[in-house]
Amino acid sequence: MTAPYPRDSVLAVVGEGFGSTLVHTTARYLGFTNREITIYGPNASPINTYQQFAHNLGQTVLRSESESHFLAPDWPTFAQIDAWSRKSPGPLWRTTRRKYNPGVPEILTEAQIVMQKLGWEECRVPLRVGWIQREMEPMPHFVLYDEQANFIGRSKHVMLAPGHGPLSWPPMLAQARKDPKLAERIVQAYQAKQYAPGGRYIVLGAGIASVNEWANILDIGASVLALTRNPQPETQDLNVPRCLFESLGIDAYVSLPWEQRVRFLGEVLKGSRPERRSWLQKIEQGEREGRFAAAVGEIGAVEAGPAGLHVFVQGKGEEIGWLDVTGITAGTGFNKSVLTIPLLRRLVDYYKVPVVDGRLKLQTNCGLPGLDRPDSRLCCMGLIANSIIPHGDTIAGLKFISRRFVSDVARAENLRIRSFPSRLNMQVTIGHDVAKALRTIPTTPQLA
Amino acid sequence: MCPTSLGRVQTRWAIIIIPAIIAAVVSLITHNAGWIVLIGIYFVLGVLLDTLFYRFVIRWQPPWLTFALTVGEFVLVYILAHWLKVGLTNVEAIVEFWAAWIIAIWTKVAILPLLSLSWIENAGEFRQTGWAVAPQYVPLAVTVFQQTDPSGAPRLVREFSSVGTLPKELRDLPSPSAVRINPFKN
Repeated sequence: MTAPYPRDSVLAVVGEGFGSTLVHTTARYLGFTNREITIYGPNASPINTYQQFAHNLGQTVLRSESESHFLAPDWPTFAQIDAWSRKSPGPLWRTTRRKYNPGVPEILTEAQIVMQKLGWEECRVPLRVGWIQREMEPMPHFVLYDEQANFIGRSKHVMLAPGHGPLSWPPMLAQARKDPKLAERIVQAYQAKQYAPGGRYIVLGAGIASVNEWANILDIGASVLALTRNPQPETQDLNVPRCLFESLGIDAYVSLPWEQRVRFLGEVLKGSRPERRSWLQKIEQGEREGRFAAAVGEIGAVEAGPAGLHVFVQGKGEEIGWLDVTGITAGTGFNKSVLTIPLLRRLVDYYKVPVVDGRLKLQTNCGLPGLDRPDSRLCCMGLIANSIIPHGDTIAGLKFISRRFVSDVARAENLRIRSFPSRLNMQVTIGHDVAKALRTIPTTPQLA
Repeated sequence: MCPTSLGRVQTRWAIIIIPAIIAAVVSLITHNAGWIVLIGIYFVLGVLLDTLFYRFVIRWQPPWLTFALTVGEFVLVYILAHWLKVGLTNVEAIVEFWAAWIIAIWTKVAILPLLSLSWIENAGEFRQTGWAVAPQYVPLAVTVFQQTDPSGAPRLVREFSSVGTLPKELRDLPSPSAVRINPFKN
């Protein structure tokens, strides 16, 4: 049962993905009621988008570690819940060595339980926000409209959690995809796809999405040429160095001038990938069988060919030339420019929010300059906030921002904070329900 | 976790409170100050290690290292307790140390995260859950709203309003358009 609208609330989340769940959970943990929270978005579940992408990628475990899950505080961790659920010390042993990665089915099960227990759906207005208007009278607040410009609600504080922009294609592939015959053979790692046994595929990129695709192609019995523009990156467990997940690292990062921050982001986010034992085995086996090879170069031309595609690859240092392949998979992710997200583009246009190279120049509290005030916050989370929180688009980063945003709102509204026994009870009850639900699903094998 | 020296000391202080209270009660009951003295030695030694040693050798501390450090601290506390002659038997000192550690680690793992949402993210420091660098708020670049008059709409707007009755003298006034006026007609 969704929320009726127009709806007045203390805090609203624009977007109904993971970010909304974490803001909602944190708000409930601190003491806000569902009546005071509104979530705007058409999807009936916060996990839909992620689940689809994970399925398309063939992803089975998260890259994140045990703290990255959907309860507001850091106890219990997911490994502790998992260990309790399966009555096995295995997850705890792994987590002491930081080798525990929650399985995708397990973490999505938890998200569902948390969402149901805390009444996420009761807060959701099933409409996409098309415009946000700043109003100052009788007190600073925002008025929200849908994409048909209908009034859908008001809120004192707003969190923008619109998610990723559209999928990104290298220019040559974007051009080739205009031809329907070629388009069906050029896919994105995040799209639904199927590989044919014995087929030959080029996979662009060497980040986690691309490596997943190498493994998927090798699994089906096909061959893969891993093509990168630069020599392949070092393996790295997490997206950014560990201490950057915490305030100490974020303090140092935010203190850098804008240009240095952007340069730093470019360096740490250049498609790193975690080292996974099972991936390494598959790739080594593929190499031995002559079904896997890596090359440095770029695609210069794509035409229809006897195998499906006739592709010219401009190698760096070595001549690669024309290749006949079954298909190309681009692991090039999403377009990171905020201008590709309609609502943000309108806000940037109208309110003159500063944007540099497609990134919002946010305040150090992830607030939107000009529109954000301490007594009426307009904050951003996710990829659009990674100029302030470098891992802003991970569960840990979303949690980091949610905690601070909701705490700001609690202070602005003089919220009576939930008592310790009540918080403990909330954690134990939800943790118990999650543990019970995990027993009903098979354990996802760990890869690290 | 990447604890700072301050974070280590604050955390150590917070997790040793319950064992210290229990040890104090036991000391009072048994009339043996050794129980509370041992906790005091553990605390002082820990603070010295936190401020003078760990900060230089450990940046990121995985959970397994926490246990390894505790084993090292146990050996040092054991030696110091013997040297200072705290008045406990070996068995009593060992049991007290590990019982205190179990209570402390439970406090650290389960209680502190519930008390402070950002304690782990803040490197073990007890800070307000807030942003590291205070934001500089800026005024809105465009004027999207007008200052409203507390008395409502301007007087003239109220006078022009069609809500009220139109005065008679306004009904037959000529049109401002000059299109129909013949300029040659005087």
